[in-house]
This record gives sequence, C-alpha cells and structure tokens, in this order.
Amino acid sequence: MIAAVRDFANRFLGRGDATITVPSFDGALKPNQKLEAAETLLTCESPADLATDDSKLFIADGRKLLSLNGSTASELRSFEQPISALCTLPGGGLAVALGGREVRVYANPAAEQPSTTFADAAFNAINALALADDNSLIATDGSATCGVDDWARDLLELNRSGRVYRLDHGNKSVTRLAQGLGYAFGACAHGNGMLVSESWRHRLALVSPGASPKIVLAHLPVYPSRLSKASSGGYWLTAFTARTQLVEFVLREPGYRRRMMAEIAPEHWVAPRLRSGRSFKEPMQGAHIKTMGVIKPWAPPRSYGLVIRLDADGQPLYSLHSRVDGINHGVVAAVEMGGDLVLIAKGPGRVLKLPLAGLAEEFRT
Amino acid sequence: MRDTITSLRYRYWPDHLLGEILSKRWTETAIPVILLLIVGFAFSRSIDNFLSPASLADTARQAGEIGFIALGLALVVIVGGIDLSVGSIFALTDFCALYLLDVAGWPVPAVVVATLLCGAMLGAINGVLVGYLRLRAFITTLITLIIYRSAYDLLIQRYSNAIASAFPDIPSWDFIGAGSVLGIPTVALAYIVIAIFGHIFMTRLRPGWHITAIGGSRRSAYNSGIPVRRTIALCYVASGVLTSIGALFFASRLGTVGGDIGVGLEVIVLTATVLGGITLGGGKGSVAKSAVGVLIVLLITNGLTTMNARGGVNRMALAGILLVAAMVDIRWQKNRTRIISKVYVAPTYHELPPPPPTEIGQGGPFEQNDKLRDVEAIGLGRIEAPEDVILDRHDNLYAGSRHGDIMRFLAPDYQKMEVFAHIGGQPLGMAFDREDNLYVCIGGMGLYRIKPDGTVEKATDETNRSLRSVNDDSRLRLADDLDITDDGLIFFSEATVRYEMDEWPIDGLEARGNGRIISYDTKTGTTRTELRGLKFPNGICVASDGQSILFAETFGCSIKRYWFAGPKKGAVEVVMDNLPGYPDNINLASDGNYWLALVGMRSPSLDLAWKMPGFRRRMAKRVPVDEWLFPNINTGCVVKFNEQGKIVESFWDLHGENHPMITSMREHRGYLYLGGILNNRIGRYKLDNADPNFVQYDKRWGKQS
Repeated sequence: MIAAVRDFANRFLGRGDATITVPSFDGALKPNQKLEAAETLLTCESPADLATDDSKLFIADGRKLLSLNGSTASELRSFEQPISALCTLPGGGLAVALGGREVRVYANPAAEQPSTTFADAAFNAINALALADDNSLIATDGSATCGVDDWARDLLELNRSGRVYRLDHGNKSVTRLAQGLGYAFGACAHGNGMLVSESWRHRLALVSPGASPKIVLAHLPVYPSRLSKASSGGYWLTAFTARTQLVEFVLREPGYRRRMMAEIAPEHWVAPRLRSGRSFKEPMQGAHIKTMGVIKPWAPPRSYGLVIRLDADGQPLYSLHSRVDGINHGVVAAVEMGGDLVLIAKGPGRVLKLPLAGLAEEFRT
Repeated sequence: MRDTITSLRYRYWPDHLLGEILSKRWTETAIPVILLLIVGFAFSRSIDNFLSPASLADTARQAGEIGFIALGLALVVIVGGIDLSVGSIFALTDFCALYLLDVAGWPVPAVVVATLLCGAMLGAINGVLVGYLRLRAFITTLITLIIYRSAYDLLIQRYSNAIASAFPDIPSWDFIGAGSVLGIPTVALAYIVIAIFGHIFMTRLRPGWHITAIGGSRRSAYNSGIPVRRTIALCYVASGVLTSIGALFFASRLGTVGGDIGVGLEVIVLTATVLGGITLGGGKGSVAKSAVGVLIVLLITNGLTTMNARGGVNRMALAGILLVAAMVDIRWQKNRTRIISKVYVAPTYHELPPPPPTEIGQGGPFEQNDKLRDVEAIGLGRIEAPEDVILDRHDNLYAGSRHGDIMRFLAPDYQKMEVFAHIGGQPLGMAFDREDNLYVCIGGMGLYRIKPDGTVEKATDETNRSLRSVNDDSRLRLADDLDITDDGLIFFSEATVRYEMDEWPIDGLEARGNGRIISYDTKTGTTRTELRGLKFPNGICVASDGQSILFAETFGCSIKRYWFAGPKKGAVEVVMDNLPGYPDNINLASDGNYWLALVGMRSPSLDLAWKMPGFRRRMAKRVPVDEWLFPNINTGCVVKFNEQGKIVESFWDLHGENHPMITSMREHRGYLYLGGILNNRIGRYKLDNADPNFVQYDKRWGKQS
C-alpha cells in the first residue's frame, strides 16, 4: 500500500523511479572522436559479430561467415539463417549462433557438419557467445519474447527476460546460470564467473555459478553490449547505443509507448537506434536542429558509437567515441587483434580498425 | 473513441487560461477577495442580520477607523519596514484629541489639525530612527510602542477623569463620529476618498513608485537616485498621520480614554495587511489589498464576537490567521514563477491524418528528388538567419539577419554585402510597396517600414485587444510574414500571442491556435485583427484575384484562403490540408502559380504526440527543451501550387548539405532565391522555363507587363 502510494507520488512529481535523468559522459567516459578516426577495413551489409583466433579475423555478415585478411574479405561459408553471435574455440573450433535460436559448434570453420548443436526450446535471442574459464561455452540470450533484431521492442515493453546459459559440449547439456536480466547482451570470463552486460539496466553484472548476480559497474549513460578481453588485462566493453532523457521519459509513458508500437513503423519509433538521420520521419529532438549548417555533437544521441576500456576489476579507464555528428555508430563488437582494436560499427555497416599503440598513454592523466 | 473524448475535453476545457490568469498581477488581489466573499457568506448564513444595514454601517465605521491605520501600515510595509507602534500612536492621538477638546476646550478644527500634527510627530520619531539613523524597523517600533504606551498610561492617570466627566455637545464633532451622508458613515466616506487618492498615489504618482521601488530593492533604488532615507522617514510620518485620522474618528465616536484602547491593534492591522496580500518583504502591495484585508479581519472578529466567542478565542483566531497568511505569502512569493511556468504550457489535442507519401518510388506530388542539390550559396558564413529574401528591380538582394539588420547583397555577383538598415529585432517576412518602401515583419517588435534611402519607421506594433483574451494581446509578439493588397492594406500574420519568438517550440508543443492575422491600413494607419485561433499562421500572399489572401498555418499543416473583399468577404476556405510538412512562406511565381516553402517535415512520432496532450504536458515539465520531441525542421522542400491548391512541382534536397533549411523562396529573373532562418547562407537555384524578366513586386504593381 505504502509502496503504491509512493509510486503514484513519484510518478506525479517526477521523483524516484520516475526521474528521467541520465548520467553524463564524464570522467573515463569523456567524449572524443576517436572512433571517427578509425580506419574502415570493410563495409558490408549487416555485420553482426567478430571473432579472432589471433591470426585470422572472422566476421559474421548476415548469413555469411567472412574471413578477413588485410582488407580483403573472403566468404568462408554461409548458413540458412543469419548469424547472431560468433566465438572461436581453443583448438581452431568455432561456435556460431544462428537466428538467436540455435548454437552450432564446428571443429574448424570449414567443417561440413557441426560437432555439437544446441537448440534448447528456451533459446530465443542468443546474441553473444563467450568462453568460460573452464572452456565451456557461455551464451547470453537477450529476451524470451523478442527476436535478436527486435531489441527495441524488448526495451519499450520493459521486458526483463534476459538469460545466461552454459553450453557444455562435453555432455551437450544446457544449464541456465541466470535469468530475469534486463537484456543480457555480451559476456566475458572474469575469475570463475562471467561478466554480463545487462543493457536495459545500464550495468555490468558478475554471474557466478550458484550465486545471485553481483553488480560490477552501474549507472552507465549507455546501453552496454558485448565484452572481450584486452591483451594487457581488463576488458573492452562496447555500447551499442546511448541513453537519452526522451527515451527514458517515453519508457515511463505506457500510453504513448503502446500507441507508438501499434501505429508507427519501428524505424520511426522514439527508441535508441544503431543508426540515425536516414529519414525525416525519425523523431527529432530540440538540440538536433541544424543551426548555421552545423549539427551539435552534444545533441541527444539517437545513435552513438562507444567502446569503453575497462580495467581488470571492470572499472572504466578510458573510452573511444563517435558522437552525434559522427558516422561510426552502433558499435556491437570489439576484439583485440595484434596491436589493433577491430570493431563493428553496425550503423554504417563497417568493420573498423584502430591502432592501440599509444592510446592508453594518451588517456593517462 | 478515446481520441474523440480527448479531443472534446481539450476543445471545451480551456487549460491555457489557468497559467494566463495566474500570471496576472491581479490574481494576488483576487485570492483575498474570494476569501472575503467566503467569510462574508459563511457568517451571513450562520448569524442573523449579519448583513443588515445597521450591522453593515457599524462594520463600516470600524472598518474606516482600522482601515486608516491599515493604510499607514501598508505604506510602511511596502517601503520595506514595519510599524508596531500604531496601537500606541492610536491611543496617544485619541487622548490628544479628547484632551484638547474636553479639557483645553479648543475649537474642533484646531483639535483636528493638532491631532494630525501629533500623529505626524509620533510617526516622525519612528521615521528619523528607522529612515535616517537606519535602525531596524522591528525593534525600533517595538520600543516606541512601549514608550508611547507608557506615556499614554501616565497621561490618562492624570486626565481620564477630566475627560470622562466632560460631555461636549458640538454638532460638528458629533458629525465626525456618528454622522452619515446618504446613509454612508462619514468615516467610511473619508476612507473611500483617501483610499482612492492612495491608489492613485501608489500607482500613478512618482513618490508612490519610489516607495515600491525602495521596498523592492533598497540598494537599486538608492543607486537610481531615489532619496531612500527621506522617503522611508516620510512613510512612517504618513503612517502616524493616518493612524491619527483613525483615532480622531474613534475619539469622536466613543469619546473615551480607557486603558485598553489600542492594545493589540497592531496585530489586527498586521493580520489585515498580510491577509490582504501585502508582502512583508516589501515592494508589493496595493490599497485594494489593504482594504480587503481589513474587511476580512473585521468580519471575522465581529462575527466571532456576535457568536459570543471569548476575547481570547478571538485573538487566537486572528493570530492563527496571521500565521497561515504569512506562511502562504512566503511560499507563494518564492514559488510563484515556478508554479506559473509549470502550468502555463497547456498542450491541446491536434489531429492530422496520415500524411501523403514522400518516399522515392511511392509517386505523388511530394515524391522526393534531388533538384536542389546544386543550390549555389550566397554570403556563406557572412549572413546569419535570413528568414526571408527579396530582390529589387536592380537585382539587389535583401535579407534579414539575427543581429537585427537588413543586409543588402549587391548585384550582379552578390559578393559585396552591406547593412541596408538596422532595426534591432529579427527581420522575418518582407514585401515592397508601390513606392518601393520595404515593409518588414520584425519578430518581437511588429511591422516596420524601410524607405528606399534606408530610414526605418515603425508602421505598427499593436492591434485591438480582444475582449475574451486573458493575456493582453494588443502588442504584437511575433509578426511573421506579410503581403500588400492593391488598396494598400497590409495583411500580416502573427504566429502566436502566447509566446516570444525564441519560444516557438513551446507553441508547437501546445499545437493550439494561438496565432492570428492582422491587417494594417497604410492609408489610415489603423491596425485590426482579422482572424484568430490559427495554428502558427506564417506565410501570406495576396491571391491573383485581388480579393483574397492565401495563408499558411505551419502547425496546422494547411494552406487557407481568406477573402477580405468581394462577394465572399470574411470567408475562410481550405486550399490544401494535410501537407506532409510544415508550410512557411508563400510567394508568387512568374507563371501565376504560388511558391510554398515547407520548413520541415512531419514525423509520425510527433503526429502521435499531438494527439496525446497529457504526454506532451508531462514532457514539457520533465524533459529539458533540448530533448523535447520537435517538429523536424532540418529537412524541407519547396513546392509550387496552383490556384486550386494542386501541387504542380516539388524541389527537394535529399542531404541538405548546400542549403539545410528553407523558410522562404523568392523567384527573380529566372532564379529562385532561398532563405532559411537557421542558415548562414542564402541559396540560389536556376529555374528551368521561368520568365527571365520576372520581378515579383514590379509585376505586382503593374510596373512590368
């Protein structure tokens, strides 16, 4: 009763859960335009994920699996469904998630038949694969109801149905490690547990077997996504899009959200996106007005490009941005390869390369 | 169904009035008046004869006496002080009057003058201490309260018997206390006269303004040369005099010098003052507030007395009321502007059907193309905010700038730019009249005329005030675009009467018909409102028939026609509605059709929000303006339409790199010149198959065939 009254008062006064404040990009998240300076290795239709075995780079582009040598891409094979996640395994193996509903493990990228196939009925939107410290495969499943590409609807429906699975190729068993997450998107081994991005709750959680998730990093101004290990310790965390006060406000407006989802085409919703500015039918916010021929980089981002370098404890060290006036938005994957950071900017459909030499020193203050 | 209910609710319930009423100065008087009516009504229901003539006359006598004291206190409070000694001054001057009359046997006029002088002197002591020696008003008047009271006590010990035993029978003295003119007690009449003078004094005369200024900010008043100390001192003197007037009437009515006269009077008067709405902080207050406060307090005390409440209860009630009133006053003064800004924005229901298609491949008159891609930029980076552009017959190009200038680019290459005229406000729509005067709408200022030699003259900046509007809408807030008829009548649009030019997004958020079309007669100089309740009226163009104007409603996404002459005079007709974008300026084309600029395009998310006023109201409160859902004015286009409202051609720029925003366009000798209010350039586009000699206003005035 008291909680109901408090909720009502909060909604009425715009306090508590009804506040729409978004943390600012500050400290380690101070904006720059580093991602705009990155070299474009490849432009493709719909890059989804990256994986590397330290010598070769694998790119999932729609239904095609590409391998990149220098800047020439060659198609390794293609699947009957779009690839939603990719992970290289020790010993030259490769795991792919197809359409979010099935995970196949191949002994090598060219193998005819999968060595193992996981197709649990609960799989719905598997969007990232990672290796645990015991070499078992970890899969994050964003939503129990919305497909991999339908994540904006999952956000607007306020769903909290993300799950983390352990896929054991030894005995081919599937174990659920966590559930009820606000869109699990990306995981990386951390000690004997897994760091998992909980996008809709703007945080990183540590999921350990037999324990409830522990929050490692919270109150991000962005929606975090996939994680990968950095060679000098720590992690790379991508953020596929950023939060805005307008979206936070719309999330607290059930009537508008319902009608918007029912009456408006998804690409024109008031929701975060991987790319923006394609059509005048997209929602426009006050600061987006081009004044004297200039769009302000600080305008509220409908789409944004961001990679955050985390230390070994999961705390941010520095970050690489592509701001509102940039192009390389919707960064969904980043892996280190050689001395470079290779990223996917899903907005413009690019695979980018950014030399890491000197980067850490530049941000050291 | 749900939309119908919402639409009816917002059509018939005037949400916008609350904010407009609250932002009026008189609401602060209206609230005590309402309280007075409630109190009066409540007592008249519970007490018989509460409002009978006899009872009213008695109340009026008391009200007059206390009213004088309250006026004095109001003056002191407005100047930023307080006078607690009024009760004691009242007692002393009462004694003074009765002593001089009964014991010294002075004639009545001398008694009156002497009593007033006595009051002035007592007030002057306060005045010197507080005004010149700058002691704290509270502590000073508390001390004089005690001193005056002690003096009074000493005096009545000696003279009360002498006064009590005298029964002077002087008709003029009795007339002061008990007389009446036409049934109205003398004291009430005197009060009314002085109150009217006080009102004029406070609102129309220089010393009154000085008093308010000092109360508002003593330092600023001092810096602007107001004699602060003298004015403050004189306020205390006035308070003493006014108190002594009250005492005179009291003395004449009752003729006693009892020990409790004037005791606790300061609390009653202070309660009346605060309850009336005179802020204790100073700088705010009026005679009417003081009068209303006195009436409320008297009604309550008299009512309670009639209901046999004990003296203690009476005082307790007054003290309680004083506390509550002071609290409300403080909170209100602190939060007034915040409350108003929260309730002023009042979105309404605005429904538009789904727009016609614009996507490439979908066909239709609005199908996008890339014709404007190669627009040439004039004055790139040198001109800022050219909302409208116009060319004279020598091909010189004129455009407004946000620095408040009309800039002129000289033909033929438009490289040389000069200030043609400085006005000071943002120039918007422009038109040449028959004598080559340039008429310009200036946002925030009105309609201006610039002679060919560059001299600036004001044409008009106000129109008739509408009777049903709460806000004073006589001043022009956002004159936007204009055109001139053959008879020299200038029709111009005023986009909104509720907001300033830089607040146009708030008007878009409201989506209410806040705008109007006004005419200015160049022959007689009269200004008249022609049409009201338009949704951001913008472009205006006199139609080819010479009897009607075409005007654009930006947020209404429509073009309408208004007949100002001929058989259909006064009628309004829709020419085009449900445009896919927000129409801006309209101008004549060389082929007899019309050019129309669409400044921005509709987006489904805003169209939906326009149907949900509650959503927008909450957005206005919770979300900062920079994050609001806006009309998309980054992409626009130019279309050509004919007399029947059919789109003939459309011109798009898919990427908007050369010319991001289009608010107006002007055809001139085979080229189309483009203006955009947030641009730093003027666009120039070569038209195919256009009359290479066309000069819009030469053709308009018959100087060109």
